[in-house]
Amino acid sequence: MSESTSRRHVETGVLENRGFLNLRLDPHKEKAVKAAEQILGQAVPLVSNTYGSGEHRVYWLGPDEWLIETDAGDVVALENELAMALAGSSAAINDVSGGYVALRIVGADARTVLAKGCTLDLHPPEFRPGRCARTRLARTTILLAADGEPDSYTIIAARSFTDYLRRWLAHAAEK
Amino acid sequence: MQAAQANRLREGGRIDRSRPLKFSLNGKAYTGFAGDTLASALIANGVGLVERSFKLRRPRGIFGSGAEEPNVIVQVGEGAEAQPGLPATRVELRDGLIAHTARGWPSVRFDIGAINDLFGRILGAGFYYKTFMYPRSWWKYYESAIRRSTGFGRAPAASDPDAYEHRNAHCDVLVAGGGPAGLMAALVAAKSGARVILADDGTEFGGSLLACGEDVAGAPAADWIAGIVAELGEQPDCVLLPRGAVLGYHDHDFLTIAERCDSGEPVERGLHPPVRERLWRIRAKRVILAQGGFERPLAFCNNDRPGVMLASAVSTYIHRYAVLPGRRAVVFTNNDSAYRTALDLAVAGAAVAAIVDSRPGGGGELAIRARDLGIPVLQGRVVCDVTGRHRVKGVSVAEWSGDSWENISKTAHFDCDLLAVSGGWSPAVHLHSQAGGQLDWSEAQLCFLPSRARQCHDSAGAGNGKQSLGDCLIDGLRAGTEAVAKLGLTPIAIEAPDAGSAREAPIEALWRVPAEKEADRCLKQFIDFQNDTTVADIRLAVREGYRNVEHVKRYTALGFGTDQGKLGNINGMAVLADVLGKTIPEVGTTTFRPVYTPVRFGTVAGESVGALYDPVRQTALHEWHEAVGAPMEVVGQWHRPWYFPRDGEDLHTAVARECLAVRNSVGAMDASTLGKIDARGPDVVKFLERIYTHNVGRMKVGRCAYGIMLGEDGMVMDDGVMARLGENHFYLTTTTGGAAGVLNWLESWLQTEWPELEVYLTSLTEHFSTIALAGPNSRNLLEKLGCDIPLDRESFPFLTVRAANLAGMPVQLFRVSFSGELAFEINIGSHLALQMWRKVMDAGREFDIIAYGTETMHVLRAEKGFIIVGQETDGSVTPVDLGMNWLLSKEKDFLGKRSLARPDCLREDRKQLVGLLSSDQRTVLPEGTQLIEQTACGVLETRPVPMCGHVTSSYFSPSLGHPIALALVAGGRARKGDNVFAALPGREPLPVEVVSPAFYDPKGERQNV
Repeated sequence: MSESTSRRHVETGVLENRGFLNLRLDPHKEKAVKAAEQILGQAVPLVSNTYGSGEHRVYWLGPDEWLIETDAGDVVALENELAMALAGSSAAINDVSGGYVALRIVGADARTVLAKGCTLDLHPPEFRPGRCARTRLARTTILLAADGEPDSYTIIAARSFTDYLRRWLAHAAEK
Repeated sequence: MQAAQANRLREGGRIDRSRPLKFSLNGKAYTGFAGDTLASALIANGVGLVERSFKLRRPRGIFGSGAEEPNVIVQVGEGAEAQPGLPATRVELRDGLIAHTARGWPSVRFDIGAINDLFGRILGAGFYYKTFMYPRSWWKYYESAIRRSTGFGRAPAASDPDAYEHRNAHCDVLVAGGGPAGLMAALVAAKSGARVILADDGTEFGGSLLACGEDVAGAPAADWIAGIVAELGEQPDCVLLPRGAVLGYHDHDFLTIAERCDSGEPVERGLHPPVRERLWRIRAKRVILAQGGFERPLAFCNNDRPGVMLASAVSTYIHRYAVLPGRRAVVFTNNDSAYRTALDLAVAGAAVAAIVDSRPGGGGELAIRARDLGIPVLQGRVVCDVTGRHRVKGVSVAEWSGDSWENISKTAHFDCDLLAVSGGWSPAVHLHSQAGGQLDWSEAQLCFLPSRARQCHDSAGAGNGKQSLGDCLIDGLRAGTEAVAKLGLTPIAIEAPDAGSAREAPIEALWRVPAEKEADRCLKQFIDFQNDTTVADIRLAVREGYRNVEHVKRYTALGFGTDQGKLGNINGMAVLADVLGKTIPEVGTTTFRPVYTPVRFGTVAGESVGALYDPVRQTALHEWHEAVGAPMEVVGQWHRPWYFPRDGEDLHTAVARECLAVRNSVGAMDASTLGKIDARGPDVVKFLERIYTHNVGRMKVGRCAYGIMLGEDGMVMDDGVMARLGENHFYLTTTTGGAAGVLNWLESWLQTEWPELEVYLTSLTEHFSTIALAGPNSRNLLEKLGCDIPLDRESFPFLTVRAANLAGMPVQLFRVSFSGELAFEINIGSHLALQMWRKVMDAGREFDIIAYGTETMHVLRAEKGFIIVGQETDGSVTPVDLGMNWLLSKEKDFLGKRSLARPDCLREDRKQLVGLLSSDQRTVLPEGTQLIEQTACGVLETRPVPMCGHVTSSYFSPSLGHPIALALVAGGRARKGDNVFAALPGREPLPVEVVSPAFYDPKGERQNV
């Protein structure tokens, strides 16, 4: 993580070497879900606005849509394995590594900085580790996740907005 | 220095005497202390006459002590920092503060506009409407003169140098108002485990407690406040927002608060100026409204003279600011609360000449205490007039029969320099009403009380009609406890502290004191001080036919000032009810709207200014474009390179060079902003057949096709190339601007209309970057880069797609063309795109490759007559209008098909896409130019001139050497060879020839090689 520090107790930085796969699958097709889980080596979360951690992070995006975050180097192999396992299950697996940038924001003031641009209630009982949500930050759409450690959040942003978002975060952290 | 503050009491108050502060008003220097407001410091300095009134230019002084202040509205600061429209009662004093009043020329004392006061008889309600109507064409002259003489300050011309921000927050209980009731409510809620936000407009918590001499729990009120605030500060989830004005109560228990973050001290701005004001956007589960009440003035002749003040304001200045606003006072009241002010004045050392109480029976316990101090109390009497122009000199007192229509005559006169008035109290029900809550009129208390709530709110304390301090504390405790219980938490048990409560006599209805002369002639009984609205104005409005309170408000300007009628509204409604012969609840109130107090534009804008005004979307190649100095074109939020100038080229030279380079060799363009959607699933063909107009099912795997989609109205909605990657797998592209909308459109059909179709859509817009290579050398360039698939015409024909490895990187290659040349599009993961682009530019050097921008792309496609959705189309253009009948399948149904059969869509004279050539071979028609018909005797003979279309795209074509234009012309396809006329500003209409839109290589031979 490349870091930048600011007036507030918060550090933000880009997570390097992250790869992303978008998975669409009918959650009622148990066989397909099982097949995906076998390849992933972890459960596919079926509870809304949660993510599963393991070798990868599997974020729930919608009733039939997930975002898999993994090492950039593993994406192609994982995509192929999933595609093979799900062949004939009418699922859609797409490499979207070029489309996202993962940022991490850590520190005692992380929640305050996010609250300047995000309307979600990030108070720990409401948005605890393991929760994620597609939401707004400043004037862009992001995927926000509460990390396992306290005061640490992952922001997955559309690549084209990253420069704006990083400038916004730097600005927000200075106040 | 201190001697200058002649009205400052020797001790007491919440001011810091060790911190004297210098300030100026209208250029004159004064001193005050930290803890003062501008208003309290002015009173301390004996400045009575401060401002001139809005319309009649009457002399005015400070009347209130808070947000209700109507008279003294100042401009603080100078230059870019100047802030207009602030009531002096809300301006915290700081060292070096510079303030100006809005009016008073040449000076406040000798305002030339005061002549208006003499004409007050004709300057009644509706004066401007009636006078400046005729002749109508003169209004523009009237207006500039009228505007110059009005207003509450001057907006600074320079941009605001301060920083602002927004903050979102959630809480269980939001308490608006930190007085006795609010503090109790917040305390019980926070200690019961609720997440609490407590906001108060004042600089410190305490509300009315800061302005009284009472004890709470056997200790001075200040000690009790400090204890509670400290206790709240220890709670883990309690946010305290002093200087936080709750501005609005919106739907779904969403509230906004403007927090003043600085105390007005000068700041080092530097690179990151500190936040001056913060807008809190709060979602609350429960809301407790404890904003107290506003004291009402009384309506009598010359009730606006400097030195007439609200009784509660007088007490506030004495207790909170240690300022004595007068030496010899008269108190005029219809209720008991003003007796406290009389006692405060007496204790502070002022002489109280009399308490004039309209009630024949007088007051309760407090009246006895006043008499014990030797203060004369006159019962059943009213103040009917005030003498003194720039300062109260005395008051006339008359007997009061209870009938405000009867003329009265004065029976006594008292010399005084201060008149403290109290017409009773109105709970601050603004937020309750904004939230949709109901109001009930209390005949006993003579005020509107909050009743049924529409959202999750409750009122407490004086805002709930409680009068004594003890009752307010108990009510706050009750509201806090009930809120906690409604949240499902267990409220902890807290005792309300002991506080004094005096037995009070009931208030009397006194909305207007009779005048000595016929009331209509008395124009000096002010209801709304800020707008100079008088009792006579309200009567005039009724006489002229206005009945509804909202109409009377608009006709008389009652309640329209920056104070939003906090002072005068209820009195105005009561007078209106009286004139109409109705009850007050029958007349009702006007609508309470956000914002509660004025707010800065900067606060509303927050951090979305300057470089953060709007998000900028950058392609993966942005860094390269910037490095070579390409000017950017803003397309939606995308910044796309417009053109790539070399050696100081201007737009036209650069575009001409770029166009010719593409036509003659090869050019590369960043086309990454196109929308890209992966569509797959067993029903994907069925789905796309319904969306697109052409026969999707007939496309072979590996084929590309140009497709359009229509709205249900049959109009072209979006277009793009689609490719069939597999039997049940498609890749769709959309326009740059349509990307998000098209995906939503497709999803909405899938999710709501055709859920039985098994199709999955995934946006790949951000994942893939697209490099377009166009020109006769594009194939050679790909070969040079090293491509693992054959690129010849037979193996990789026009309108096909191949997965390939190019220059060592995995790509999708499309043989598509938006320029009419042999062309390819390289789709590559955005994380690899910059690397690929550099390789393309390096390998292309041999072919003199150029990068081209959006302008060249537009010229190249216009030369071919290719449309751009949103430029050639505007939501009223069908594919038939565009000459795209060949795209409309006859064998299947698709969205919008039925609409194309509507009679209007079949009209032969619909506007159709054509090309235009300027007859002079020189003029590049401005886009949007209207096209008009030639008539028998010349084009401008008939009026209105017959119009037949407009220009949609227009460029100079470097390849053809003359201007070209695309246009929509009525019945245009049948008119090739005709001349129509382009209406050009400042010129004779120019004849233009209607031609085919395909100007260049009309047979399409160049792209298919």
